[in-house]
Amino acid sequence: MADSPEAIRKSIRKYLIVGGILFLGTVLTVLVATVPALDIGRHGFDVYDCVLGLAIASTKAGFVAVVFMHLNDEKKAIYWIFGGALVFGAFLYLLTAWAKSDLIHDPLFYGDSKPNIKLGH
Amino acid sequence: MEIPYIVKARKDTGLTNSKIAIWLFLASEVMLFGGFFSAYVFMRIGADYPWPERTLPVLPGLINTFILIASSVTVVFAWAALKLRKWRQFQIFMGATVLCAAIFMCLKAVEYNVKFHHQAVRLNDYSIIEGHLDYKKDKDKNYIKKDGKKIEYNLINIKAESVIFSTVRFHKPWVEQILEQAEEQGSKMVLTEPYQGADGRADAKTTYVEAGTELSLDLLLKIREQHLKARAHNQKLRADALRCAWQIAKDANPGKRGWEISDQVGVDAEKLKPDMLTEMGAISFKIDSAAKLSFKPKNIKEADGQSRLRDDTVIKGKLLESPMKFHHVDAIDFQYLAMKAVQKGIDPMVAIENSWIIQNADFAKEAWEWHCEEVEKLEKELAKQDREPTLKDRYRIGWKEFSKKAEQEGMTDMGDWTILEEFKGPNYAARGEETFPHLAVPRGEIAFASKFVPQWNTYYAIYFTITGLHGLHVIGGALVLGYYLFFGRRMYETNPEWLANRVEVGGLFWHFVDLIWIFAFPIFYLM
Repeated sequence: MADSPEAIRKSIRKYLIVGGILFLGTVLTVLVATVPALDIGRHGFDVYDCVLGLAIASTKAGFVAVVFMHLNDEKKAIYWIFGGALVFGAFLYLLTAWAKSDLIHDPLFYGDSKPNIKLGH
Repeated sequence: MEIPYIVKARKDTGLTNSKIAIWLFLASEVMLFGGFFSAYVFMRIGADYPWPERTLPVLPGLINTFILIASSVTVVFAWAALKLRKWRQFQIFMGATVLCAAIFMCLKAVEYNVKFHHQAVRLNDYSIIEGHLDYKKDKDKNYIKKDGKKIEYNLINIKAESVIFSTVRFHKPWVEQILEQAEEQGSKMVLTEPYQGADGRADAKTTYVEAGTELSLDLLLKIREQHLKARAHNQKLRADALRCAWQIAKDANPGKRGWEISDQVGVDAEKLKPDMLTEMGAISFKIDSAAKLSFKPKNIKEADGQSRLRDDTVIKGKLLESPMKFHHVDAIDFQYLAMKAVQKGIDPMVAIENSWIIQNADFAKEAWEWHCEEVEKLEKELAKQDREPTLKDRYRIGWKEFSKKAEQEGMTDMGDWTILEEFKGPNYAARGEETFPHLAVPRGEIAFASKFVPQWNTYYAIYFTITGLHGLHVIGGALVLGYYLFFGRRMYETNPEWLANRVEVGGLFWHFVDLIWIFAFPIFYLM
């Protein structure tokens, strides 16, 4: 992380450039979502728009984290803490996603006799 | 106590303690917001109704995104200014950051306010009507139309024959409201039966209130007092009797544990009866000539014959016509109806043509016919690119479509919607009733009604949860940064590096708040 006055003076230009990138990224996200000519995939919102929108958002978030939050030049401990949280969060998400297809009322679980449970649909 | 390693880094980690602490905090925040975004994904995937895609106005969200990005730049500039020991510059940049936070919250407040006043109704046939219910009040508290005629507000009307109040729970303003309404119609509300009861002697009865006594707030308060007195007396009597019974059982079975003798413990209610006072949990008043009583829908669970207010007051009588009156309808949505029709193997177009609103509201029929022509044009346009209209294109007539229709028919000449309308929704006053007409929906047709609040659907539930939590973070961050701005001067003069470190830590939190919004904006506004 820039700590000396010289290094900080140099960083200011970098902060401005990143600010500009974030503005442009936001405009781009809105344009691909609202201008029909820039709409990819099917007409309206679809999985391609989702991937593109999240990719732009992730790039913007990356710039904020790397430049504004100084993750480009940090100590190891910070990477472990923040990276650990990201990995753990992603793991919990995947765990839930995996469990979503795991039926609570699996009819075969009860063998041949059907359980006396109404699922309501 | 002095906090160690706040200016100089620890040798083992190479970091100040405050920096380690903020990163640990941010790690927990990642998981907190990650959990909510996961909830969003699962709710959207598992939604059993058409998910509201791109339903929020983009402009307020876009401006808020610009504001937060700008504040991220200014906060890092403020930190740099401190590092370069330029107090004045620090003040300017930090001031700009706090100002950005204030503007962000103001815009959010406008956005929330619009939703809190926007009414939605799902009918029994799954068509959805959106608009506004509220009428403007005049000085005499009447609700008036544009032409000056008095009109009724949205109320549940009952031809009441009797009212039963819960002695303990009755809500004073509602009692006053009932009294006022009965009085206006020249009806009297009198006690049906006397409130009398035993006062400790088996054969004697005291009459606390005579039958035929007129209802008043004081009377209810008096009855409540007597009831609570009787209840306390009876409770004491029962507790004493039970204590006595336990003592007798214990004396008869020395050395035995409580659970071993519990079956021998009992109180003879009959024996206690002569000493008990009469409690009156509910008290009934009849209305001599049935009066029309009206209540706000949120305060009553209405039913023909017997309705119940939220304070447990029961209103007996016939339910009168109490339609939900839309001051202006600004959207009709058939997406849910179409989805249900397809599930049942019915042609959605047939289902829509047979829906209540198309059958009963001429303006809706006209709008739907106009909309079908527009969809046809869009279909032809998109067919050239081998594409198709979305469900929303096909089955939703939003306020912009209503405006476009009115414009095409020459009913209004406002043209495209204005920037203010992007924030506050359609301008009813300027566009007029011709564009956004009135509509009365019979209560019996309504399956569910709500403002655009979390109870309306899971989309709004998760929207308010994530943006509300994010808003709290903005407020918290702005308070901390504002503290450095207004109270940091002394620290700057004594230990500027310490202040710089503090601002860096506050700035890290602020960047994280920006980072969350970078994801929240496209997810809620554009997807």
